[in-house]
Amino acid sequence: MLENGLLHLTNWTANVIMPTIAGLFAAGAIYRFSKAQPYSHLSYAALAALMCSGLLRALEAFASQAGANDPDRYWISVLTLTNWVGNVMLPLYGTLQVVLAVVHYAGLLERMTIGEAWVRNFLSAIMCFSLSGILRLAEFWIANGTAGVK
Amino acid sequence: MTTPQILSDLLALLFDLAVPAAMCTMVLAGLALRSESGINFESGGRFQRWMIWSAIFLTVPQLLSWFAAQGIHMPGQGGGITSAWMNSIDTSFKSFVTDIVLAKLVPVFAAFFVLKAALDAAQGHSPLGSMVTAIFLLAASGTVQLMQGFNSGSQFATTDMLVSLWNFLAGTILPEAAGLAVAGAIIQFARHRPVMPLVFAALAFLSVSSLWKLVQVMVR
Repeated sequence: MLENGLLHLTNWTANVIMPTIAGLFAAGAIYRFSKAQPYSHLSYAALAALMCSGLLRALEAFASQAGANDPDRYWISVLTLTNWVGNVMLPLYGTLQVVLAVVHYAGLLERMTIGEAWVRNFLSAIMCFSLSGILRLAEFWIANGTAGVK
Repeated sequence: MTTPQILSDLLALLFDLAVPAAMCTMVLAGLALRSESGINFESGGRFQRWMIWSAIFLTVPQLLSWFAAQGIHMPGQGGGITSAWMNSIDTSFKSFVTDIVLAKLVPVFAAFFVLKAALDAAQGHSPLGSMVTAIFLLAASGTVQLMQGFNSGSQFATTDMLVSLWNFLAGTILPEAAGLAVAGAIIQFARHRPVMPLVFAALAFLSVSSLWKLVQVMVR
């Protein structure tokens, strides 16, 4: 009974509440973007909230690299986490930085930081009206994994 | 010398009331759990003490068999209660625990903790402690039945039960808590608060048995 109660609480939190507040995080990110304030934290939080169970599966995969009674299991799981951050997350982030470098060098996003704010306001308006679509797109990408990149 | 009937009846009464008493101590452990944060317990605190009392009440006959193995004469545990008055006390106490404590009081306590979870959230604290306590209280009778299943029947049944309880916590409960830790880490990230303690805690929840093995290897 106790394990069922805690399991249901965990499932409800991760599969019902977190995807719901992902919409709130995304709305907050759009609002902060419209004010030219830092917004990336909220946008990453929205994405992470949609991937809650996937992140847990990732941690379980890190922990299961060693046997249940292996004294080195915790060290190996932290090592696997470090390897995953260094070999998966950082290259993705580096690719994103290269793209941003090209975009900034080309001056494509100057209108959002220098001079008039109309580009930023226009983009914010588009995102406000299409937030549900953006969330569905993110859910589609997450649900389909690498097959979602088409 | 034969044991006087009233003492035999009293002994039978106490043995019979051990399981209902374990139910009561489990409920008291649940109430103590919230006063010690709800998602953790204090070393030597009231939660720990009520849980150990639950284990002792559930293994009283086995505990007495240890005394018998040391050569101390123990009275026989067979036979029911012959006195009608003692029988009525037995029935009344069992009815009190089943019909009042478990059926009426525990759901009300759990409901108040759910209400408290909302008030905790309003105050800026985590509602998780009160939620987990509410679940613990509602599962009190199930937990006692689970612990009865851990009774090895040997002279060391009390310690065996505590070992089985540890294995249950480490192998079943804490991996479920790892999921809550991941959700908590995401919320912490959104609030610009430290995330890594919860990530490392989630990994530790998934590796508790191996951490125990690591400590044993360190000591060797």
